[in-house]
Amino acid sequence: MWLWFSKLGSPRWFYELSSKWLPWLYAAMIVLMAIGLFWALLIVPEDYQQGQTIRIMYVHVPVASISLACFPLMAVAGTITLVWKMKLADMVAKSVAPIGAWFTGLALASGAIWGDQIWGTWWAWDARLTSLLIQFFLFIGVIALRSAIESQDAAAKACAVLAIVGAINVPIIKYSVEWWNTLHQPASSFSMDPVAPNPPEVWVPLLIMISAVYVFFVIALILRTRNEILQRERRSQWVIDLVSREKSV
Amino acid sequence: MPTLQFSSLSEFLQMGGVYTFHIWTVYLLFAIFIGYNLIQPRMARRQFIREQKRRAARDAELATKPRES
Repeated sequence: MWLWFSKLGSPRWFYELSSKWLPWLYAAMIVLMAIGLFWALLIVPEDYQQGQTIRIMYVHVPVASISLACFPLMAVAGTITLVWKMKLADMVAKSVAPIGAWFTGLALASGAIWGDQIWGTWWAWDARLTSLLIQFFLFIGVIALRSAIESQDAAAKACAVLAIVGAINVPIIKYSVEWWNTLHQPASSFSMDPVAPNPPEVWVPLLIMISAVYVFFVIALILRTRNEILQRERRSQWVIDLVSREKSV
Repeated sequence: MPTLQFSSLSEFLQMGGVYTFHIWTVYLLFAIFIGYNLIQPRMARRQFIREQKRRAARDAELATKPRES
């Protein structure tokens, strides 16, 4: 177990292993995305209240729910960086910040466009929207903090602390729709009943889209982490060999 | 067997006609989001390889050149 743990912490080992994973992840993403998009755009029936705009849900819900996974991941990576000084954990923490900002930004944008139609307003200062906006600024803050500190070790520590402290916002976002009266609706439950307000024909394609976007998230994170590994290990022999094997571009 | 909701391409592109712009803007943003986050890291990697190759070539040149006093 500890051998495995220390091996996983080795950037080179991760780089080589992820090279083997990437083609499979790409294949899974393309298949899931194709099925999910086809189903969401062409087969899901019109909603009796919101008509065709139900199709916005198949982008908004996957992106918004995965945006909530980014901050805890960054906080866990930060904790590992602080406690075990694992280099790879900090590389993951650095890579996840811009991806988290993208996810949160798209969740806000798609939510605003959807809200403009179903609520009649694109923005309201309610608990869910405001707490998600704070998450967006926290991601920007983490990115800015890292670029502001010159020493790599000091930046890693500062960002880890900010990620751990900032993670308090995640349960607030998650439960905001239950704790306060918000314009945003609470999470819907999945029902097997075909005549329920939320029947399988609506949520099965949603689950497929969520899996597709999850696989995309993993690919985006791996790609950025691999770049970070190459950058930080550029003076080690295995990267020098790797560069010399690459054909000129 | 699921049935298609639209009978023609133009009907599909119209998305019911009322909120055409809203729906397609969200899907356009989604496409940009996916595209950027897959292409940007590949460009960065290519840039890194290019820089390192240039550095290696310069180092090799310096190593072979006789030192001038």
